[in-house]
Amino acid sequence: MSILANKDTRAVIIGGVAGVNAAKRMAQFDYLINRPLTVQAFVYPPEAGQQKEIFRGGELKNVTVYSSLAPALNEHPDINTALIYLGASRATQAAMEALESPNIKLVSMITEGVPEKDAKRLKKLAQKLGKMLNGPSSIGVMSAGECRLGVIGGEYRNLKLCNLYRQGSFGVLTKSGGLSNEAMWLCAQNGDGITSAVAIGGDAYPGTDFVTYLEMFEKDPDTKAVVLIGEVGGSLEEEAAEWLAAEPRRIRLIAAIGGTCQEVLPQGMKFGHAGAKEGKKGAGSARSKMNALREAGALVPDTFGGLSKAIKQVYEELLASGAIKPESEIDEALLPELPPSVQEVMKQGEVVVEPLIRTTISDDRGEEPRYAGYAASELCSKGYGIEDVIGLLWGKKLPTREESEIIKRIIMISADHGPAVSGAYGAILAACAGIDMPQAVSAGMTMIGPRFGGAVTNAGKYFKMGAKEYPNDIPGFLAWMKKNVGPVPGIGHRVKSLRNPDQRVKYLISYVKNETSLHTPILNYALEVEKITTAKKDNLILNVDGTMGCILMDLGFPEHSLNGFFVLARTIGMIGHWIDQNNQNARLIRLYDYLINYAVKPERPVPDKK
Amino acid sequence: MAKILEGPAMKLFNKWGIPVPNYVVIMDPERLAQLGEANKWLRESKLVVKAHEAIGGRFKLGLVKIGLNLDEAIQASKEMLGAKVGTAEVRQVIVAEMLDHDAEFYVSIIGNRDGAELLISKYGGVDIEDNWDSVRRIQIPLDENPTIEQLTVLAKEAGFEGEIAERVGKICSRLVLCFDNEDAQSIEINPLVIRKSDMRFAALDAVMNVDWDARFRHADWDFKPVSEIGRPFTEAEQQIMDIDSRIKGSVKFVEVPGGEIALLTAGGGASVFYADAVVARGGTIANYAEYSGDPADWAVEALTETLCRLPNIKHIIVGGAIANFTDVKATFSGIINGFRESKSKGYLEGVKIWVRRGGPNEAQGLAAIRKLQEEGFDIHVYDRSMPMTDIVDMALKS
Repeated sequence: MSILANKDTRAVIIGGVAGVNAAKRMAQFDYLINRPLTVQAFVYPPEAGQQKEIFRGGELKNVTVYSSLAPALNEHPDINTALIYLGASRATQAAMEALESPNIKLVSMITEGVPEKDAKRLKKLAQKLGKMLNGPSSIGVMSAGECRLGVIGGEYRNLKLCNLYRQGSFGVLTKSGGLSNEAMWLCAQNGDGITSAVAIGGDAYPGTDFVTYLEMFEKDPDTKAVVLIGEVGGSLEEEAAEWLAAEPRRIRLIAAIGGTCQEVLPQGMKFGHAGAKEGKKGAGSARSKMNALREAGALVPDTFGGLSKAIKQVYEELLASGAIKPESEIDEALLPELPPSVQEVMKQGEVVVEPLIRTTISDDRGEEPRYAGYAASELCSKGYGIEDVIGLLWGKKLPTREESEIIKRIIMISADHGPAVSGAYGAILAACAGIDMPQAVSAGMTMIGPRFGGAVTNAGKYFKMGAKEYPNDIPGFLAWMKKNVGPVPGIGHRVKSLRNPDQRVKYLISYVKNETSLHTPILNYALEVEKITTAKKDNLILNVDGTMGCILMDLGFPEHSLNGFFVLARTIGMIGHWIDQNNQNARLIRLYDYLINYAVKPERPVPDKK
Repeated sequence: MAKILEGPAMKLFNKWGIPVPNYVVIMDPERLAQLGEANKWLRESKLVVKAHEAIGGRFKLGLVKIGLNLDEAIQASKEMLGAKVGTAEVRQVIVAEMLDHDAEFYVSIIGNRDGAELLISKYGGVDIEDNWDSVRRIQIPLDENPTIEQLTVLAKEAGFEGEIAERVGKICSRLVLCFDNEDAQSIEINPLVIRKSDMRFAALDAVMNVDWDARFRHADWDFKPVSEIGRPFTEAEQQIMDIDSRIKGSVKFVEVPGGEIALLTAGGGASVFYADAVVARGGTIANYAEYSGDPADWAVEALTETLCRLPNIKHIIVGGAIANFTDVKATFSGIINGFRESKSKGYLEGVKIWVRRGGPNEAQGLAAIRKLQEEGFDIHVYDRSMPMTDIVDMALKS
């Protein structure tokens, strides 16, 4: 048996993230004692409709968040308890609504800083409706082996250490949350553990007082003694003493009272809980409470340190009198361990997980990103440039000074080619339609393919193949290409020709050949091919794609990385076009009719649908 | 509980129609001279000048001067402004009209569990103490404010007669409204005075406490509460309060000059038992401190450093119950950093540190703080198997 919370308790938590965290802790207890999930629903308007993931051991449960209490209670008619995890400005309203819901019998509030008037009103309402209101400022209620409301009891390991998986004989009443946990530990250490523990909160006007709970414990046959931890201020402890003295009581009472230090503190100084304040003329002082309780027959040690001995003494007396039977120790090994997370098990090397992806270029798990092992800031401080980062991330090696100069030039000369080409035009069209930068640039990017800019990779690939397979047989290479591929990628231009050469190509070849020591077998092969093709037709020159492809192959970049240079370079241009159009506040454009040949059927009536 | 100064209290009285004398709060004597040009009452009434600060026993300290004319009041405020009392400095004075009056009464209202209790007596001022039997009371249930007629009856029971009884009834009714609507916890008006020639009433002196937790619904509360510790806060206390107002959970710190045992304790309940244990063993506490609600590690670090700077401490008690949700590892990492930082600045010389704690991640937290032994700290670390306050006994016996 227990008080307040038991096996039939089903709860709704009203509140956000703190409430969800409490639900997770509560589910750990549910798992320990093998009971169904206590928390059935959340109420939190900002997250209404969401599902919260709660693990009951290894089992994943989804608990719905509702916008208000009524639908939550409709969907979950078993709910009989509400836990309030809202801030002080909203908690009162929520608690009132909960108290007024017929199915809810108990409302427990963790909220701190609830105005006193609100607390008084809540108490009055609860009394009028015959409901229980625990708190505000309560860490919760723990009924060993039956139910946990709130985070009371702390982490999973502590639940076992305090024997909370099974019932003992001691009730616990405290104002403080931390001390409720400490008292449960003391009862497990010096006795057989607890029946229920209730933290009533340290406010001046708690919703329910010690006497009400003492009455409940008195009626619970399994509770043989109650450990009460009170403190200076108010009169709840004095009332508990009166209750104890009023008539013979079945339960024994052990009490510790905090705040005797106030006797020697400078006058007027107070600290501790909101309610821990001595009244006029020593009323509510720790000493007067201790005396009242002692006179009423409670066992009251002088200090908190004496509590262990007092509990042990009462436990032994109860054992001797036969009121409590010595309990055979449960083998704790039988109690389930909380399933560990994958990370925890991996740390212990007890599980192998097949990775989902693999990376070989970068890692940001440390203090800063590393490119192929090199810290980004160190690359900067040592004078490396963007070309070197490209070398590292695309080719996994740091280019030499000469190589990076070539990479830089390739990007510079292919960054833009005016507004008329497919990519730039696509970006401009999108910009004029009011599309944002990333999407507009993607529109231009979509154009890159076999007919526009996408030939770099294939040019590099096939010239490399030719240089290897047909080193001294260019006609053989061209014949193979004609048979298997079609036109040679990287050869040919719409406007440029042998007599009207592409200046970029001319410059690039001349730079690589005359100003660097790069060995260029593939570029050389392509130039040999050009000699043969231009002999057939004047415009079958090695174009800029082909030149780039060959040089990048000669630089040792992976074949499939080559189009990346065009993509990267043109991104610079397309962003430029988008900014330009926006700066000019460009209008939406459409094609003029005279640019379209409407080769459509003449106007005609629509036939009736058959 | 938040006591507020006379100025803000008078402002709230005014708002609810409780008669108050004319008054001004000033920070500069020049301003009083200017106000004197604008306000006839300052030129024509006898004035009282009081330091507008939370300083007890102001009369004895010469921080209340009565029966002054405007020039004397300017002179008195010049003397008071900037005066230092302990750690406090007078930054404001309140200058009020001294009402010539024929009688002094007593009225107060104090919140209790079921609502509030209103007290009335015909004897006010210093006479109330000797005439406590004359007090008549009425319990005011929550949200059931009494009518003016009921309060007039009470006034008559307290010995007031005729029109005065009616006026007292009316003032009490406004006092109840003020108490109720301003989330007050107590208001004591002593004396409430009357000048019979024109039947003018005024609350000459008043002490008001408001519920500071209710401030979210009082946008017009432009004041700060007076310290709850019987003296103004020190700079170190202010700093911790500032941190406290910014974080989840809480950190609290109060200095107790002259003590030898510093407390770095967790939890509003357990921390008080630690202070009790020190006192019970004949020790003296150098401070009260408390952190709870899983505060950020940097906040606990700041609290630790503040505490390490306390003069003449011999022991630091890093105590706490078995926490429910405050992460021991995380909060201890703040404490560890605070200790290291303090030591590097030359504090903690010859100071013994005693640790007892349990809660989430207790094993890691305790192992981490135990490592300070290797860095030359005189630190003694115990887990949950050590009874909570026994480290205090050990400290005092060592």
